Amino acid sequence: MLRRLSFAQFHALLAVLLLAALLASACIGAFMFTPGQVLHYLAQVITGPVPGGDALNRNVFLQLRLPRVLLAALSGAVLGVSGTLMQGLFRNPIVEPGLAGTSAGAAFGAALVFVLGEKTTLAFTAPLGTLAVPVLAFAGAFAATMLVYRVSSAFGKVNVFTLLLAGIAVNAVCNAGTGFLSYVARDPQARNITFWNLGTFTTADWRGVTLVGVIFVACLAWALRYGKALNALMLGEDEAAFLGINPARLILQLIILNTVMVAVDTAMVGVIAFVGLIIPHLLRMVRSSDYTFLLPASALLGALLMEVVDIVARLVIRPAELPIGIITAVIGAPIFLWILIREQRRSGAGLYG
Amino acid sequence: MVELRDVSWRVGAARIVQDVRLQFRSGKFNVILGPNGAGKSTLLKLATGLLAPSQGEVLYDGTPVQAIAPGALARRRAVLSQHVDMAFPLSVEDVVLMGRYPHYGRTPTVHDREVVERALALVDMTAQRAQLSPTLSGGEQQKAQLARVLAQIWNYDGSPEPRVLFLDEPTSSLDVHYQIHLLDLARDLLRHDCTVIAVLHDLNVALHYGDHFFVLEHGRLAHEAAGAADIPGALLERVFRVRAHRVSDPESGEGFWRFSRQG
Repeated sequence: MLRRLSFAQFHALLAVLLLAALLASACIGAFMFTPGQVLHYLAQVITGPVPGGDALNRNVFLQLRLPRVLLAALSGAVLGVSGTLMQGLFRNPIVEPGLAGTSAGAAFGAALVFVLGEKTTLAFTAPLGTLAVPVLAFAGAFAATMLVYRVSSAFGKVNVFTLLLAGIAVNAVCNAGTGFLSYVARDPQARNITFWNLGTFTTADWRGVTLVGVIFVACLAWALRYGKALNALMLGEDEAAFLGINPARLILQLIILNTVMVAVDTAMVGVIAFVGLIIPHLLRMVRSSDYTFLLPASALLGALLMEVVDIVARLVIRPAELPIGIITAVIGAPIFLWILIREQRRSGAGLYG
Repeated sequence: MVELRDVSWRVGAARIVQDVRLQFRSGKFNVILGPNGAGKSTLLKLATGLLAPSQGEVLYDGTPVQAIAPGALARRRAVLSQHVDMAFPLSVEDVVLMGRYPHYGRTPTVHDREVVERALALVDMTAQRAQLSPTLSGGEQQKAQLARVLAQIWNYDGSPEPRVLFLDEPTSSLDVHYQIHLLDLARDLLRHDCTVIAVLHDLNVALHYGDHFFVLEHGRLAHEAAGAADIPGALLERVFRVRAHRVSDPESGEGFWRFSRQG
């Protein structure tokens, strides 16, 4: 049935579901709001605050709940689009930022600032000010992704075993680095790093939402231009070149674009695994592998899924909450295994080996 | 017109293609012949502009191919490879539409859609248009790729710009029926201001379909022939290290070669 929808209809359907999830997520939590309250507070953002006894609730909603809801949606969208871009880039359905070292590299870069930034004054981070975390996260993520891509794509063809092994190695190095930093860190920082390694939206504030939002919108607008090129890349690098695409330049642009998005988001919310993996896969299954469809759809479905996961995270052990990464791993890892088995059956000789 | 001017290509110390100077005949079916490892595929990659020569230059109507914008080049020449491995499943129609990518921006025009339609009809794949690539047989997959390539350099409407179609052993995975179908379509392109440049493995097929022949040996141009009759048996025997007998079909009188082991 979903296959019969046009791409635009499918996108519209996802957008409607996302709006519903956003509203639900705005209402549900340790402190419950009614949909009426939510709409009332939102209206006041435009009209200006109405004086009255509701000011405390309104502040809780606008300063705590709303940024969190938006940051969750943005993070889901970033990871969904990132998974789509990376699977297109590596021409393989099992790649995602967590696997290719992008997230771990970003985490290591960010942890470097968290810990060493307080212990010593890192001379080179000083001029960056508050942007030191995202910038170093980008540097770490870029180095890690480039390394994994270079190692796994010798001779123009991505080898899936080398890709997995290179991903494991690069992730191990980055995680060791982050682990070492949390070991030498003082207690509150260490706790932050640990929590943040599992992903969290508890620290959401408007600064984070603005930063991730601006970067995401810019990156998505840029990414949407690559729909055709990513489709052409499905045929292989040589065939894409015959269609007028410069694969080397395309790949570099995709890695930069993807890394900017993931690094900035990771710097804000930490490492959230498996979302980037399953979003494009689900969309391919129910509708199409066409990237002109996948890119917008993965942003919408990513946001939708993350919103649902965040609602669960806030409800399961109320009033405390679970780190997001735990839930996404519990859901995502079995799906990942299922994909592996399915691909293995389909191709007989293993996964695009 | 596609021309190679003293083109060489090296990897490390190995010289794959050496000082090749040749002009492909416009509007003809050009065939590059040679044994395994003679550098045929590399020569084809150089001629398509995919590889940049270590020395010399490849010219399209006098312009070095590396100086032509990738998009413009893609509208002028297309390449059908031996086998295309799709990383993800797409419908036949979507694959053929890729051939129009160099022609449109965000959304395909009515003309692009029409070209896709006609390309599908040419390769007899209209009925399978919605089928996903992994569910197709090898022959159907190659036909879908052929339709894509035809759509890319579509010239059936008589546009003034000549086009070039490169074929890199396109029939090696196809049975006889599909081989003939594909090569007939390629020959048909010649009537639409298109030049065909092919690497073909089967010598008799090559000699039957080709107009103009270039024989490569150890990366060098060993022989050029304007017509199958101009290729001496002794040359084939030397280059391919076989014994060659010319046999003629009693019905059509057409000649073909029968090969056997040397010595």
